[in-house]
Amino acid sequence: MSTAPSQLRKAVVNVVAFAVLGALVLGATWLYASQRVPPQPLEFNHYVHVQQLGLSCLYCHSNAPRGQSAGLPQVNRCIACHNQLEPKSPATRALQKYAENGETIPWVPVSIQPDFVYFSHAPHVQQGISCQVCHGEVGQQTVAQPIRQQNMGWCLSCHTNLPNLTPERLTKLQSCETCHK
Amino acid sequence: MNQERLTRRDVLKLAGVGGAVAAVLSGCGPMAKYVRRRPYVEQPEYALPGKSVYFATTCRECPAGCGLVVRTVEGRAIKVEGNPNHPLNRGGTCARAQAALQGLYNPDRARGPKARGGKAITWEEGIDAVARALQDTPPEGIVFLLGLAPDHLAELVYELTQALGAPAPIRFGALAMVEARQTLAAAAEAVFGQKAVPTFDIAKAELVISFGANFLETWLSPVAYAKAYGAMRQGHPGRRGILVQVEPRMSMTGANADLWLPAKPGTEGLVALALGRLMAEAAGVEPPEAFAQVDPAQAAQTAEVPLEKLEKVARYAVQDVERVVALPGGVVLGYENGAEVAKAILALNGLLERLGKPSLIYFTPPAGGRAPLAPATYEEIQALVDRMKAGQVKALFIHGVNPVYEFPKALGIEEALLKVPLVISFASFDDETVPYAHYHLPDHTFLESWGYQRVQVGADREVLSGFQPVVVPVFDTRATADVLLAAVQKVGGALAEQVPYKNEVEFIQKQVAEFQKRNDGVYQATHPKVFWALFLQHGGWWTQEATAAPAQAQVPALQVAEASFGRGEFHLVVFPHPILADGASANNPWLQETPDPTTTVMWNTWVEMHPETAAKLGVQHDDVVQVQSPYGAISAAVYVYPGIRPDTLAIPMGQGHKALGRWAKDRGANPLELLGSGTNGAGDAAFGSVRVVVRKTGERRPLARKENTVGVYGDGRYQPVEKKPETATSKQE
Repeated sequence: MSTAPSQLRKAVVNVVAFAVLGALVLGATWLYASQRVPPQPLEFNHYVHVQQLGLSCLYCHSNAPRGQSAGLPQVNRCIACHNQLEPKSPATRALQKYAENGETIPWVPVSIQPDFVYFSHAPHVQQGISCQVCHGEVGQQTVAQPIRQQNMGWCLSCHTNLPNLTPERLTKLQSCETCHK
Repeated sequence: MNQERLTRRDVLKLAGVGGAVAAVLSGCGPMAKYVRRRPYVEQPEYALPGKSVYFATTCRECPAGCGLVVRTVEGRAIKVEGNPNHPLNRGGTCARAQAALQGLYNPDRARGPKARGGKAITWEEGIDAVARALQDTPPEGIVFLLGLAPDHLAELVYELTQALGAPAPIRFGALAMVEARQTLAAAAEAVFGQKAVPTFDIAKAELVISFGANFLETWLSPVAYAKAYGAMRQGHPGRRGILVQVEPRMSMTGANADLWLPAKPGTEGLVALALGRLMAEAAGVEPPEAFAQVDPAQAAQTAEVPLEKLEKVARYAVQDVERVVALPGGVVLGYENGAEVAKAILALNGLLERLGKPSLIYFTPPAGGRAPLAPATYEEIQALVDRMKAGQVKALFIHGVNPVYEFPKALGIEEALLKVPLVISFASFDDETVPYAHYHLPDHTFLESWGYQRVQVGADREVLSGFQPVVVPVFDTRATADVLLAAVQKVGGALAEQVPYKNEVEFIQKQVAEFQKRNDGVYQATHPKVFWALFLQHGGWWTQEATAAPAQAQVPALQVAEASFGRGEFHLVVFPHPILADGASANNPWLQETPDPTTTVMWNTWVEMHPETAAKLGVQHDDVVQVQSPYGAISAAVYVYPGIRPDTLAIPMGQGHKALGRWAKDRGANPLELLGSGTNGAGDAAFGSVRVVVRKTGERRPLARKENTVGVYGDGRYQPVEKKPETATSKQE
């Protein structure tokens, strides 16, 4: 036989549990939402520029043979052509706005490694490795998407498998401090 | 089961859900890896993504002029370091240079030109206002009030005032007040025959006797002196230099001294005379006239300094070492007889020379033979304020100085400013003076500026230190020199012919081109553009060899007595904050967070008080006291400090802002408010002659201190107050 206080107690426990569960669901949703990639400031279409217009990767990402980061094009590189084109799409209209105001475009980075990884484009590009090998067929994409699971195992799948290397170089490629300086 | 208690089922339910929530909500936050990448709008050829570009420039946080190398990445300044080739600082920097990045990117900076009341205006309107002022104001009513940096702007403004027929620009600042530069220059004239601030070669010294000169913290050129100090101590194998410091309050320099003599304030001149007499006696020669009158035992007693210590120092100086130098500075020059005290201390060097010791004092040769405009004396500033109050100043241009904060209230600068019909401020921040300005036309910070500075003190050769912008200006600010030149162009006519430069860089290039003819610099070039490029690349121009020659000292006639003071219980030492200095960069969290070297206090003003004094007053650490002088009163928390005389209090400058930004505003107190208008015999402020009374307020304001709050000296922050003995009334409770 249940008395009134115990019924109240049961009710309280249930309400608390429900509230906590609700908080959990909300929290999880918030957490999930916060981990999603933010949208790009303007929808740059790689397919149009690479596949249709035939631009090479290095035309915009020109620092790849020279340094760690391949770099992003300065606004003037876009404007060089788009100055002469009617801004018909939302992306080109946004570009025009940035250029008129002399503002930098706040791109969201696509191919990112964690802070503890040291990656330099220069040695890879200078070895003749083409961009598609690591970044996939970006020319077929509209807005650039990252390669999934571009992790250490994936890097090592190449670093351990290269033909025609001296033992010293092969060791260096697989040694920790090369990439985790 | 008893239904009153929590059942097992309930507990498991709650625990399970609670645990899950805890696990999820304690996880990571938003992804930091999606930090936006912002490439250039127009990428310079030399700037590669991810690669640092280094620019050589000069620091303008204080007038010293140390060379810097600033690292930038993709157009953003990320690190300041010293320029290792610069003859003044040789790669060293002080806290303010390092923190200058927070000045550059400070969110409280003035972001564009404004009219009084905060109304945004265009630069055209601002330049028009300046042009009208230059054109319509009678020349004798135009005044330029500039800061202490001996830079190109002062020289350009000088040319402008010459062309206008207006009075020469006045350079001043709170630092000049407490460094008493004119006093030093006047004393140097009497002893060396050269009216300039001398540089003391402590690197070569075996014995340094410093009277109040806090050369390791803020005095004149602290980075250069700190390097020289290192050389003094460790630069000569087998021989370690000795430092004797005579001052009423232990600065960091005093803390490093081998012998610290807290002479009674006002008697340091007598101590110098006594030392001189004792040195002559130790050498077995007749003391010169100036030193012959003093009785060392009497002087030691008056100064409350052990005679044996003075004798020891004198003997050591004369018999055991070759190279000795005595330097005057700090509060020692701030007594009402500061001019005579400075002469006496410099004359000690003359005495040492007579005893056969080499001179360790030289004068930094002015770059290009052109000495920078001397800073104004306190008397001249008061004369200016009086002119303003009398309505004689019709247009006042203010740059590099914040009069409402830096001038003691006793001068009445605020009421004087209200009498000036046109005040134009070029401050980079919304400081206390800006509300009095009719137009606020903010200058760039020095990291965005072109320019040069002729080094005045601390270098052993001619140094023209160069500025160049390391980043594109962050906000809509303009170089003051550019604004003035644009206004001159607008005025046109004879003025534009006499000051013909189109912009600031043209003026600077013209002055720098003078050095191209020289063949004793660290680089040579035949084409002016190449010379300019080398000037920027090196961060300035200087001679290959050190050219400063030791100056010969005389012993002039001296009239040194114990200084007299006003009424009050305690002596007051107002000193530049070791990190904030004069407080111009108080809105800088890095600087605020940097602990003071001796007390480790951060983010606030403190009143240094000897433990005996504190006990007598019944105060402990963090108790707020009101310090009152005949000219003003401030409140600040007590820091119980053994390194100070019991009859003296010390309060650092730098805080107590009412504007300037969120981290400076309403923080601490400004001890400059306690100073009066008296001068020290050479026209500089008698900032050490003020005496104060102290009153407990009963409040506590815990100071943020980096040191162990349990107590470094055995006392504690929360020391229980001495229980009063039981009286008849208390027993009843």
